[in-house]
Amino acid sequence: MSFISIGFALFVTAALIVYYTVPKKCQWIVLLIASYVFYAINGVMNFIYIAVTTVSAYVCAALIEKKGTEQKEYLKANKDSITKDEKKSYKAGIKKKQKRILALGLILNFGILVYLKYADWSIAYINLFRLSFFGRTDFIPFKNFILPLGISFYMFQTMGYLIDIYYGKYEREHNFLKFALFVSFFPQIVQGPISRFGELAPELYKETAFDFDRIRSGFYRIMWGLFKKLVIADRLAAFVRETIAQRDTYRGLYILLAVFMYSMQIYGDFSGGIDVALGVAEMFGIRLHENFERPFFAKSISEYWQRWHITLGTWFKDYIFYPLSLNKGILKAGKFLREHGFEKLGKRIPIYVPMFMVWFTTGMWHGSQNRFVVWGLFNCLFIILGTEFEPLSLKIVEKFKLDEGSFCMRAYRVFKTFWLMSFLRIFDISSDVPSAFNAFRLIFTDWRSFRLARVYEELSLPKEDFIVAVIAILVMFIFDLIQRKGSVRKRIFTLPVPLQWCVLSLLIIAVSVFGYYGPGYDAGSFIYGAF
Amino acid sequence: METVIEILKGVHPEVDYEKETGLIDKRIFDSFDVVNIVGELMDEFDIEITAEHMVPENFNSAQAIYRLVKTLEEE
Repeated sequence: MSFISIGFALFVTAALIVYYTVPKKCQWIVLLIASYVFYAINGVMNFIYIAVTTVSAYVCAALIEKKGTEQKEYLKANKDSITKDEKKSYKAGIKKKQKRILALGLILNFGILVYLKYADWSIAYINLFRLSFFGRTDFIPFKNFILPLGISFYMFQTMGYLIDIYYGKYEREHNFLKFALFVSFFPQIVQGPISRFGELAPELYKETAFDFDRIRSGFYRIMWGLFKKLVIADRLAAFVRETIAQRDTYRGLYILLAVFMYSMQIYGDFSGGIDVALGVAEMFGIRLHENFERPFFAKSISEYWQRWHITLGTWFKDYIFYPLSLNKGILKAGKFLREHGFEKLGKRIPIYVPMFMVWFTTGMWHGSQNRFVVWGLFNCLFIILGTEFEPLSLKIVEKFKLDEGSFCMRAYRVFKTFWLMSFLRIFDISSDVPSAFNAFRLIFTDWRSFRLARVYEELSLPKEDFIVAVIAILVMFIFDLIQRKGSVRKRIFTLPVPLQWCVLSLLIIAVSVFGYYGPGYDAGSFIYGAF
Repeated sequence: METVIEILKGVHPEVDYEKETGLIDKRIFDSFDVVNIVGELMDEFDIEITAEHMVPENFNSAQAIYRLVKTLEEE
């Protein structure tokens, strides 16, 4: 069942009616049933993978807790007879056992994800190796797995929970069915956000009274998400694809325009889908973590990544960056270098090595193709360059007495960050790494050949669609600007009632009339839904 | 407390750690400094500092760092 379909709307409506009709203490059960029905409708095989993740994480968390309880009881019983060193050694032993259980859970789950996602990528390299070194042409056939719906989103969320249980951050959820709901809550399963147990669990298990204002607020958010997805993203998709594919014909400003439009497309697609997810959850009285915070207003790449796909970024920070950065081995390596004349290098090792790993993983997560890895590593490189050149940048600002807070300086930084990130997305829309570099090179050629009429006539973006896209992007930009000073919906709700109806009607009309339902239209497929 | 201040002086000797309460907020320490200080603290006090402890409140002053060390030692 597509996220954007009449079927999904009916499904959510039915779930809402049942949710607010049953006794409040049973509401979470309605959510669980709805989540599993949603998942099963999308394919029975999906069901097996999510069941494996749920059961394995539940069992591992229980075993980790059991070891923790053993430790508490032992230390309590022997508190007078045990020495400090014995206590320390006992605790280390328990920690080691807990670590093994955690490792088992992580390897099993991430093993499944890696196998499904990277089997064909690995087979391609194995085939190439066999051909190059042994001349073998009996190629291993590709597996062509279809990734279960939202597997990496629920996998990351559940493994985050398991790691938190290991570190003793939360008490584990003892009720298996409640835990199953935490893993499978349907609005967020397609493309996130990736929630933390401490934030999501109380929302899922609480009792919620019907509130018309909340339903209305959620509905506005869903419509806004549909506007971004259907009016902007889906309208631009074919134009971007065709321009990049026909780069022998369309160069210079055509590619530059496609790069700009792709940034708008992917933002509309991903953040629009998140708006739908958050809006649906809000109707059930459940607050999910925001995943975007006006990323195109970021003044540096680091800031951009704190505003784009926020929940994945914080997941990588907490579960990959810090564990590596605070790893004793890496800290010792840094110290060794500092003490042996490599002060600057030694100081940077515990930050830059984990950063490299985070960006390598981020690239791999986006897709099992080299171009995504290169894209990730370029992000890493730009962040490192930004950090290393910051003192020089500050000196320039000081020397020329530039005002960092001035509109011009802020606009310059926003402009620079937007285009840097947009250029990097060429790796996203190109077929491979050489094509991406070639597209980048072609941007700077043949600017004179640009004619807007050719965009209208030849590139799946007729004049009317182009105008609608430009107006819709401007509307999105203005809404983002207003949002800087607080929720746009809250402002709308302070307007007189007839005006509120006007806004809602305009939104519904915009989605119904200007939503892109052209040839090859497939509103259900979100770019990030395939991750 | 003396050991903590000694570690901090190894990174930025010019700071008055008895009075300073904005080591992170005033950007006296950058991320490189913090991670290297954490390494020294883990070594010296045999404690485990994890992602959840990496918040500015725990590193804004020598006193806050000392409190963090004491809490982790007692765990």
